[in-house]
Amino acid sequence: MDELENNQNEKEMADVLLRTGSLLMSAGANTGRVRNTVNRMAEVFDYSIDLHISQRSIMLTMLNENGASHFTIVRVTPAHVINFRTISGISKLSWSMVEEKWTLYQINDELKRLEELPRFPRWLVLTLVGLAGAGFCALADGAPIELAFTFVASFVGLFVRQEALKGGFNPYVAVYFSAFAASLIAGACSKLGFSDSQNHAYVTSVLFLIPGVPLINSFSDILDGNVQNGVTRGFIAFLISFSIAIGILTSALIYQF
Amino acid sequence: MSWIFIVLYKSVWGGIAALGFAALFNVPVRSLFHIFLFGAIGIFIKFTMLHYALNIVFASLAGAVAIGFLSIPAAHYKHTPPLIFYTPAVIPMIPGILAYRMILGFITLTGNPKSPIYYTTLLETVNYGMKVVFILISLSVGVVIPMLLLRKDSVKDIKVLFVKKQ
Repeated sequence: MDELENNQNEKEMADVLLRTGSLLMSAGANTGRVRNTVNRMAEVFDYSIDLHISQRSIMLTMLNENGASHFTIVRVTPAHVINFRTISGISKLSWSMVEEKWTLYQINDELKRLEELPRFPRWLVLTLVGLAGAGFCALADGAPIELAFTFVASFVGLFVRQEALKGGFNPYVAVYFSAFAASLIAGACSKLGFSDSQNHAYVTSVLFLIPGVPLINSFSDILDGNVQNGVTRGFIAFLISFSIAIGILTSALIYQF
Repeated sequence: MSWIFIVLYKSVWGGIAALGFAALFNVPVRSLFHIFLFGAIGIFIKFTMLHYALNIVFASLAGAVAIGFLSIPAAHYKHTPPLIFYTPAVIPMIPGILAYRMILGFITLTGNPKSPIYYTTLLETVNYGMKVVFILISLSVGVVIPMLLLRKDSVKDIKVLFVKKQ
């Protein structure tokens, strides 16, 4: 009877660990962080585990007292949507569960709360990303009128990307549509004669699509020794950049730049 | 001294660009001000070094390392991992114009190799491409250099001056 109960606890523990890991992974944490957090949580409850983390799934083996493997489970990671609020919340959780001796139920409740945390309102994200586009244009010595064009272009570009993702398009195709829409709007700036030959607005309007998180995570994963994940992320970053390039070149074809 | 005003103007816009990415990545609200500040500091360092005619790769690396170091005390102060500060803050330093010129160069290179501009285009494209690649590497590695130098798995293990332990 005792052994049965023990088994049940182990299963529940493994479930919580995998849930934490896949939440972190899909929110955009680097592999080292996922590994450290899950290991730290297992240590608190006196379990020893082995982990295999890849881009789309996490595999966990529970070890018994003798260090032999007891059972292994795999969980598929949901589609990656960058959410730093989740990463920050789980980081806090993994420290406060040590200090306050949380139970598994408390951890489950906290994970559920983190999953349901609100995002920034859509209009605010669109406006801030529009301003970021204007910022990129200012960094490239753009004139005020070009800044205004880049603001509108980035705003509409992100809107197109969100709508394309909602419509179920492939993420790279969504990036292509977005880059095309943004550069089409910003390209009008030089066609209407507001811009000199440098086309600052046109070039900087697509920069809000830069795959910053995959790029930085790619290098930190490789430096950590998680080369496989690092290469995967690097290739994803390359594909996104390629989609941006195709999008901007499509509107170059239309405008004959 | 007028260059310093241009650099400051660009720093403010760099901070705003960092904020845009912060919103896109859905960061905790309490970290927004620091992200703005670090984005502006990174751009300030980069453009100041460019003004003194230093190489753009070194300028970007210096900016990224500064952001990486600043993220550690900020992580203690705001109780949130350092990657939440450094990821949005380094993105404004990504060389968009150079990358665009590189892609445009690649497209031109698929054309007729006998054309008179082919050779100059080749040289320019290689130059832009090398700059882009090395800047991207120095930005991504630059922000994690502080953690590598301090040899700790978690920022919680690093002692930081001026921040009270709870």
